[in-house]
Amino acid sequence: MNWGGFLNPMAGLWFLLVGPLVILYFLKLRRPQLEVPSLVLWRSVINDSRVNSPFQKFKRNLLLLLQLALLGCLVLAAMRPFWRGTADQAQYLPVLIDCSASMAALDKPGGQSRLDLAKQEVGRLIDNLLPGQRLALIAVANSARSLCDFSDNPRILRAALDKLTVQHAPSRLEDGLRMAQALALTNPVETVLFYTDGNLPTVVSFDLPFELSYQKLPSGGSNVGITAVNAQRNRDGWDVFVRVDSTRNSAHTTTVEFWNSGRLEASELVTVDGAGSQRVVFNVPDEGAASLEVRLKPDGFDSLSLDNQAFLDLPRQRNLRVYCPLSLATYRQAMPEQDALVLYPDDEGNGTAAEYDLVITDQGADLPLNARMALSIGVIPEDLKELLDTTTQVAEIVDWQRSSPLLQYVQLRDVQLGDEPRKLEGVEDKAFEMAGYEILAQGKRAPLVLHRARPTRDDYVFLFHTDRSTLVYRIGFPILVKNILEEARRLAGLSEARSQPTGVLEPRSVAPDSSFTVTAPDGSRTVHRSSAEGDLAGIAAPTIGRYLVDSGQGDPEVVGVSLQSVTETQLEGVDTLRVKEVRVSAATARLQTDRPLWHWLALLGFSLLLIEWLFFQKRPAGMRVAV
Amino acid sequence: MSPANARFTTLLENKVLSRLEKMRLNPLRRLTNRTRGEHQSGKGGTSTDFADYRDYVPGDDVKNVDWNIFARLERPYVKLYRHEEDLHVVLLLDSSASMKFEGKFDRARQLAAALGTMGLMNVERVSVYTCPARAEEPLFLPPCTGRVSRGRLFDFLERLEVKGDCPFESAIDGMLSRHRGRGLVILLSDFLTFGDLQKPFNMLFSAGLEVSAIQILGPTELNPELTGNLRFVDSESGQTLDVSNVGDLLSVYHAHRLALEEEVAMICRQRSGRFLSISSQAPLESVLFDLLRRKGWIR
Repeated sequence: MNWGGFLNPMAGLWFLLVGPLVILYFLKLRRPQLEVPSLVLWRSVINDSRVNSPFQKFKRNLLLLLQLALLGCLVLAAMRPFWRGTADQAQYLPVLIDCSASMAALDKPGGQSRLDLAKQEVGRLIDNLLPGQRLALIAVANSARSLCDFSDNPRILRAALDKLTVQHAPSRLEDGLRMAQALALTNPVETVLFYTDGNLPTVVSFDLPFELSYQKLPSGGSNVGITAVNAQRNRDGWDVFVRVDSTRNSAHTTTVEFWNSGRLEASELVTVDGAGSQRVVFNVPDEGAASLEVRLKPDGFDSLSLDNQAFLDLPRQRNLRVYCPLSLATYRQAMPEQDALVLYPDDEGNGTAAEYDLVITDQGADLPLNARMALSIGVIPEDLKELLDTTTQVAEIVDWQRSSPLLQYVQLRDVQLGDEPRKLEGVEDKAFEMAGYEILAQGKRAPLVLHRARPTRDDYVFLFHTDRSTLVYRIGFPILVKNILEEARRLAGLSEARSQPTGVLEPRSVAPDSSFTVTAPDGSRTVHRSSAEGDLAGIAAPTIGRYLVDSGQGDPEVVGVSLQSVTETQLEGVDTLRVKEVRVSAATARLQTDRPLWHWLALLGFSLLLIEWLFFQKRPAGMRVAV
Repeated sequence: MSPANARFTTLLENKVLSRLEKMRLNPLRRLTNRTRGEHQSGKGGTSTDFADYRDYVPGDDVKNVDWNIFARLERPYVKLYRHEEDLHVVLLLDSSASMKFEGKFDRARQLAAALGTMGLMNVERVSVYTCPARAEEPLFLPPCTGRVSRGRLFDFLERLEVKGDCPFESAIDGMLSRHRGRGLVILLSDFLTFGDLQKPFNMLFSAGLEVSAIQILGPTELNPELTGNLRFVDSESGQTLDVSNVGDLLSVYHAHRLALEEEVAMICRQRSGRFLSISSQAPLESVLFDLLRRKGWIR
């Protein structure tokens, strides 16, 4: 077993100083002289003590022994000894620290948070940093953030560690591993430490180029929290659904309060036993846009308070704005009249809108219209013209995605198509994916239906014209049109509303090339600019609360952000991570790093120096000292 | 200061001196000399103190027959009287360099003056001997007697100095080479000598001297408070001794000091003598009028 070692064993040559020290000691030894009446008694005392004490010889030279011990301590300290811990000795050691919301969980009322425990562990690493070792600190929540690059300066590392706070977001390890991988490009990294409470996805999609040491911290106490808030449109307004979960094997009684625009609308007492979630439904009448808030008030100890609050913003109800040219009469006729929609142009061919929720067209000129969802019929988009063309041969649909919102309950078997898209020479299906399209229906020679999802616009492409197919005569066609309308309503936020989780605000369509000031819940402000296409995306929302997106014209948009993570609320720690093919198990014992011993030896040497000084300075009392 | 209040000697206060004049030495045995003195001999004598009766034998002086007894018993008995002889008191004072510490020599001189005074006031023959330095003639006070000799005694003692490295046993040899007669020898020393004390004590005993030894030690010899590594220097020989961790050896030191006391006391007892160890800082009056009296050295 290897108990330890020396980082600088060559310093052991300083032990050669023992010889000169002994010689100098005996040459230079100067004792205080005392004149005594007679040496009679003292001679007999010395003779007696020499006989009775074999170690008297050493006692007589205690000063020399102290000096030798002092030299030994100094040389050993210079050799930089260390006590080998359970961790491999690594020169460059990235440390990932989970700072997701669950790390704020307390173990008991007024106890320590998981992040405090992690800080303690990492602080111990910093304190026991061996000479030549360097640590890099990376905070991991839903994204990774470098706290400190490789450094051997404990002060810098401590300062970076102290700044680490809990992020109101669930864990995602991938970003942290990628950042460690980036560090490994410039420095030899063999092991990466990861301190977490284990509350993270079991499967991690990452190819490990180093060893991952999974240091699982003890889980927090029992917890109850809101894991989802969403709303669905009903006839009179909205049904708001609140899901409440708790940690397993613990029962909680909590009051769910429902606030609408600052007013307490309703409250309900809920008991969650940990075996399953509880769902609470509140009804909100249709009175225009509403800012809802749901609060939990647990009766007992609740280890995590971040998930006791959730926000939901309901849009003002309006009709769906649909553009469909008169040439697509089949679609216009298939749209049910009782549905709340406005069709452009009207039957007389009049009327336009600046912005549509849905554009259905068989003319390429209509595709640039500003819309949240577009469906092109028999038109090949510009970016796909290099991949396929269309022939007039009869074709059939081979297969289609039945789970797609657009094609749900639509039977496409035996549908005859008058157009047959055909891939150009050498084009594979992968090329469509590279172009950002998902294949929803496949023909014999080429895809037939494609879908491209972008932050502010969803494009559905029918590469054949439905009017030249038997689809319009099938029962599935009205279902298809209904699906199109439902999907458009969903994308426009008219049929359902979901609470925004922490992380990044959902992209929104706004005026192109415009500045927006975003005010976070803590009062901090950032300025964002929309793209030329009118997309406003990438607004960070790391904190739970309400964000104000202000364009400077009119009332600012209020967006509530809340945690809403089942895993973070249930505080369940996974014992094994599956990182691609590699299984990483949590360490059963706390990591013990190599412990440097030189400062203890230096302290011992200093103590010996003090003892020697006291020993040397101590004058005998009771007799005069001879000059 | 009026002549009436003037001190007779610097060694002793007048009031101590006046008390000493009424006291006398109390030897264990009657080691007296033929010369007539005031100490009654163990043998029969001509003093007025009755000692015993014995049967009359022809040739006895009839004036010594106790006629009252003869009248009652009709048998002649001769009355025996004590013979009063003088006691020779020898004071042997250790004046080697080891006595200069912590008033040991001063205390020795005071005791010598006090004991000598008792002897002189009781018409004993008192002589004083010291330890001469090597290759020097010994300094001594020849035997003197009577009240008138007090001045000589005090003057001799006052002029004594501490010097020399003569071993105490050599001083005894020197004293015996000059001394004649039986009596009492009082040794005043610290008895810290490398030599053997058995032989000189045997010689004292053989010379008819009752040995009374008083060991005088300083407070730091009785209870040293020392620590650390020290180099001891012998005050007499100048020899050095390096001792480390003195504090750890104090218990051994005490054991050896007590063993030395016991050894000297044993030597004295084996020769019908007495031994006493005192501190040089002990009050003189306490030693003279309390300790020595209680021990039966004086009365």
